[in-house]
Amino acid sequence: MTAQSRSLPAPRGGHPAGHARPGISNPVLGMILFITSEVMFFAGLFAAYFNVRAAAPVWPPAGNEHFQIHHDVWPLVGALTLILIVSSLTCQLGVWAIQRDDRRGLVRALAVTLALGITFLVGQAYDYSQLGFGLSDGTFGTTFYTLTGFHGAHVLAGTIMLGVMLFRATAGQFSARHHDAVEAVSLYWHFVDVVWVCLFSILYLL
Amino acid sequence: MPSRRSRLSRARSLGLVALAALLLGGCSQIAGLYPPAAATDQGQRIRDLYDLVFAIAVVIFLFVEGLILWAVFRYRRRDRVGLPPQVHGNNTLEVVWTAVPMAIVAVLFFFSWQTLNTVDARAADPALKVDVVGFQWQWQFSYPDAGVTVIGLPDSPPELHVPAGQTVELDLKSQDVIHAFYVPSFLFKRDVVPGKVNVFDFRIDQPGTYRGQCAEFCGLGHDRMTFSVVAQTPADFAAWLAAKKATPAPSAPAGAAAGSAPPSAGSGQAASLSLSASNIAFGSASLTAPANTAFSLTFDNQDQGIPHNVDIKDASGTSVFRGDVVTGPARTSYSVPALKPGSYTFVCDVHPNMSGTLTVQ
Amino acid sequence: MATTVLRPATTTYRTGLYEWLTTTDHKKIGILYVLNSFLFFLLAGLLALGVRTELARPGIQFFDEKLYNQLFTMHGTVMIFLFIIPMLAGFGNYVVPLMIGAADMAFPRINALSFWMLPLGGLLLFSGFLTGGAAAEGWTSYSPLAQAKYAGMGTDLWLVGLTLIGTSSILGAVNFLVTIFKLRAPGMTLFRMPILVWTVLVTSVLVLMATPVFTSALIMLFIDRNYGGHFFDPATGGNAILWQNVFWFYSHPAVYVMILPAMGIISEVLPVFSRKPLFGYRAFVFATSAIGALGFSVWAHHMFTTGSVFLPFFSLMTFLIAVPTGVKMFNWIATLWGGHIRLASPMLFAIGFLTMFLIGGINGAFSAAVPVDFALHDTYWVVAHIHYVLFGGSVFGVFAGIYYWFPKMTGRFLDERLAKVHFVLMFVGMNLTFFPMHLLGLAGMPRRIADYSPAAGWSELNLLATIGGFTIAASMLPFIWNVLVSLRSGVEAGDDPWEGNTLEWATSSPPPPYNFDHLPEIRSERPLFDQRHGLLGSGH
Ligand code: HEA
Ligand code: HEA
Ligand code: CUA
Ligand SMILES: [Cu+2]
Repeated sequence: MTAQSRSLPAPRGGHPAGHARPGISNPVLGMILFITSEVMFFAGLFAAYFNVRAAAPVWPPAGNEHFQIHHDVWPLVGALTLILIVSSLTCQLGVWAIQRDDRRGLVRALAVTLALGITFLVGQAYDYSQLGFGLSDGTFGTTFYTLTGFHGAHVLAGTIMLGVMLFRATAGQFSARHHDAVEAVSLYWHFVDVVWVCLFSILYLL
Repeated sequence: MPSRRSRLSRARSLGLVALAALLLGGCSQIAGLYPPAAATDQGQRIRDLYDLVFAIAVVIFLFVEGLILWAVFRYRRRDRVGLPPQVHGNNTLEVVWTAVPMAIVAVLFFFSWQTLNTVDARAADPALKVDVVGFQWQWQFSYPDAGVTVIGLPDSPPELHVPAGQTVELDLKSQDVIHAFYVPSFLFKRDVVPGKVNVFDFRIDQPGTYRGQCAEFCGLGHDRMTFSVVAQTPADFAAWLAAKKATPAPSAPAGAAAGSAPPSAGSGQAASLSLSASNIAFGSASLTAPANTAFSLTFDNQDQGIPHNVDIKDASGTSVFRGDVVTGPARTSYSVPALKPGSYTFVCDVHPNMSGTLTVQ
Repeated sequence: MATTVLRPATTTYRTGLYEWLTTTDHKKIGILYVLNSFLFFLLAGLLALGVRTELARPGIQFFDEKLYNQLFTMHGTVMIFLFIIPMLAGFGNYVVPLMIGAADMAFPRINALSFWMLPLGGLLLFSGFLTGGAAAEGWTSYSPLAQAKYAGMGTDLWLVGLTLIGTSSILGAVNFLVTIFKLRAPGMTLFRMPILVWTVLVTSVLVLMATPVFTSALIMLFIDRNYGGHFFDPATGGNAILWQNVFWFYSHPAVYVMILPAMGIISEVLPVFSRKPLFGYRAFVFATSAIGALGFSVWAHHMFTTGSVFLPFFSLMTFLIAVPTGVKMFNWIATLWGGHIRLASPMLFAIGFLTMFLIGGINGAFSAAVPVDFALHDTYWVVAHIHYVLFGGSVFGVFAGIYYWFPKMTGRFLDERLAKVHFVLMFVGMNLTFFPMHLLGLAGMPRRIADYSPAAGWSELNLLATIGGFTIAASMLPFIWNVLVSLRSGVEAGDDPWEGNTLEWATSSPPPPYNFDHLPEIRSERPLFDQRHGLLGSGH
């Protein structure tokens, strides 16, 4: 019995009762599919943004100097962008660490990623307080806050997931053979990061 | 002998044609399966297309439905012995029943595209342009060149008068929600969308009156947004337009006091009330007025481009005063005759859900 | 120990209420889905009877516009989002793991979560009736009519409720896809999966790609209404047509979400009751995928009269979608052809599907011809189309499924005589209700009106439709009676009462937790047929 199960390839987290197939694990596949749906969700918001933007004679609309957000991109928002990109990196480092069974490395990487995520959220909250226009200020305000707001909500969700992962990692629940959850959360975090890069390019640079 | 065979086959094909004609003819007896006779040139094109689509549809329907029923009745078995041949498929058949429908839809697409181009074509110089404004829940037709405007009221749906035999262009606009200008005998409708102007042309050949109705759901009064299109000979139309021009304002119904008559002088200081309307609602839901004395009511319609009025009704619902409809933003002064003490309601005739109570004491 | 005795199956369903409320077993969740959806079907049907009662005669008799608008809005919304979509998801839940030889869905707890969001969402939608009026802008909720200026609190409840139901759908789709990709039994290759599993697969892809877009639209409208947003109201710089584009980008694929699994159900029923394999299995898979793909390119056929869409493209794509659907229709007929047809209750409803969906497909194709749609759009013709595809198609498919799998779910047959009464009443009733609507539409009767003029000439046909509506309602009584009686004293069915083809018939009725003790060898899409007859003629 034990001899037999040792000779089988290591199961990678399929449902115990199911006939787990080789290849990508269930939680990771589930997360990839869920992210697909999230991409379509943001596609809907982006479509609305491009629609109102295409209809406006000038963009940002004239008449409100606060709308000229692309002028002061670099100090704060640029830094926030950098922070998210770096956090994506640290998150991936954590995944690689646990693949080598380096549990301390995972905890360290998750802690740093979590800290960077929180920094981003705080930074964005501060940015909101400085902007000088609101959600109801024209189509510009509406689309700006809807897009960045929903992205922020996703970052928040991501940091909560990271927090749970960190908690479970410190409790020693992950190993080289068992870390699907970490991989799934890491994928989600990359997704959140990519959305921000798109948002940043479109809202501030384009 | 060959002649007999060809006669027979000719007879058979004749019979088939006759049968087909009978079937189609039989169907056309069910007049309900066809839209009404088209009033417009463009509608006639749509009707021709409809007839084609309908004929193809009937053939497909009879053929496929026939196959289903025939298969079911032919192969029905009550006993459960043995197995029928286990046929898994047939590539030739798959190709056939992909290709034939493909060909049919190609034909259908071709003809509908052609028809679309003629129906949507616009004349460079229409004989008449009318601005159509749809709003909750009435229609307004204006003839900008003549300066004539027609607004519908609940008990008198508006009439769109047009000259027969000439091309008319409609510019459709909305200030509030989406409506749709629909005349069944045109076999046509076009949405009236806020924030954009939709334009289409039509030409009615014969004088006549055609029923129309809003087709896009627009709220409480959607079912009451009716109108009619009256096609007249150009001479009659010109006469109608001239008559309209002479009496610009919609006339107040008999029995109710006329709109802006000067207040009766002499009886000391006349009381004065004011009422505003904005966002399709009255500014206040209740007013109080003195009894047995005429008073003036200043009405401030703040709704850009939207007509309102004030209609005062007694407990039985009869109108005791009906003010002229004014299109905002505009301010007018109504002179309301003396009213007996009691409780009245005031409404906007154009928007029956705008209402309030007037207490006279 | 290959032949462990199965746990006595009947105890599975004799468990307490608490067990039902907390279950993560896909079969129980599937049954919960079916029951919940059927309840909402009755409620939405009741609302439809309200609509029909008011329309029976010209004039306002029972429901004024204020109420009538809530009736048809909630009727459409509930039928679509709380009845047909979850009902089909319920069948998927019950049957798909069984059919692919899996023990459960991939994520059983998420599965339970998806289900419980539905009654909650339904509660939110219906609570509008108690808080000053449910949503009343039609199930399409066009802006600006749905803006705060024109529409009350019910619309907010509608938005929140649908967001919840949509999320449930998305989670369900993820679950189905992972289950189908990862939990198939050994030997169950993709091209040996039952067609129902294929249709659930394609449906899940549609949900995954389209529903989130709808969620984004719902949220944007919510922002417009409650936080001063400017997405959809031209009066404040938004765009009214944008809502329609986003809504239909979702809702057209959604109509295939409402029909594909029903097509899957009858693709299981027709072969079993003809004792033949499904004709053209691969063609069927390709046609299903083609419908799914084309489904994303036709949404603007709902907007032909807006003057804002490129008409020829959407007309062409809409016509094209008739082709793969036709392929299916002909393959179904070829499956019947030369078979040994048994007209048992599931088969009756499957044949009802074929005959009625054909009408709904063809009268939909009329609207693909843009100029014809200029005449038909927003008239009762479209209402006829909706119901011939959704009632004549999906609902007949649902009942075929209920009669087919009831023995599996409960271990007992439904009574065939009552089933025939149900079928005849429903079939006659639906044609009586919805056929006259073609004529009404051509005569120019718009949708969504509470009242019409007696002079319009629509009175007789409307009365006929009302009589038909009540006939459909009457057909539910023998059905409900049948279920109640058969649950207690129906004929015992055994494991494989219909001589089925697919794996769910290889386990006991009802199946034990985790479904299978032993799986037959899977060498074609009909493992049980092979087991019974050898690989007779199965050229796979
Ligand atoms: C189950 C749901 C379902 C299904 C399957 C369909 C299927 C189709 N629908 Fe339908 N549709 C709806 C549900 C559905 N629809 C709903 C709910 C609305 C109204 C929404 C609202 O406004 O409230 C709507 C509205 C709607 C419109 C907008 C009408 C309007 O508002 O003006 C159009 C326009 O093109 C349309 C077209 C089609 C077409 C071409 C198909 C095709 O897929 C049908 C294809 C099938 C066949 C054609 C039959 C079989 C084929 C053959 C036998 C082959 C030979 C045939 C030919 C060559 C033609 N539908
Ligand atoms: C799956 C979808 C589905 C189904 C099954 C139905 C079923 C029915 N529909 Fe539906 N309908 C829609 C989807 C559906 N509809 C949609 C999407 C719209 C568009 C909405 C909009 O415009 O926004 C619509 C619109 C619509 C209209 C147009 C309203 C208007 O435009 O003003 C009408 C009018 O007659 C109608 C009638 C009916 C009838 C009579 C039934 C009948 O089949 C109903 C049969 C009745 C029952 C099933 C009730 C049985 C109840 C009992 C027997 C009571 C027993 C009770 C207990 C035991 C508790 N429907
Ligand atoms: Cu205006 Cu409907
Ligand atoms: Cu569609």
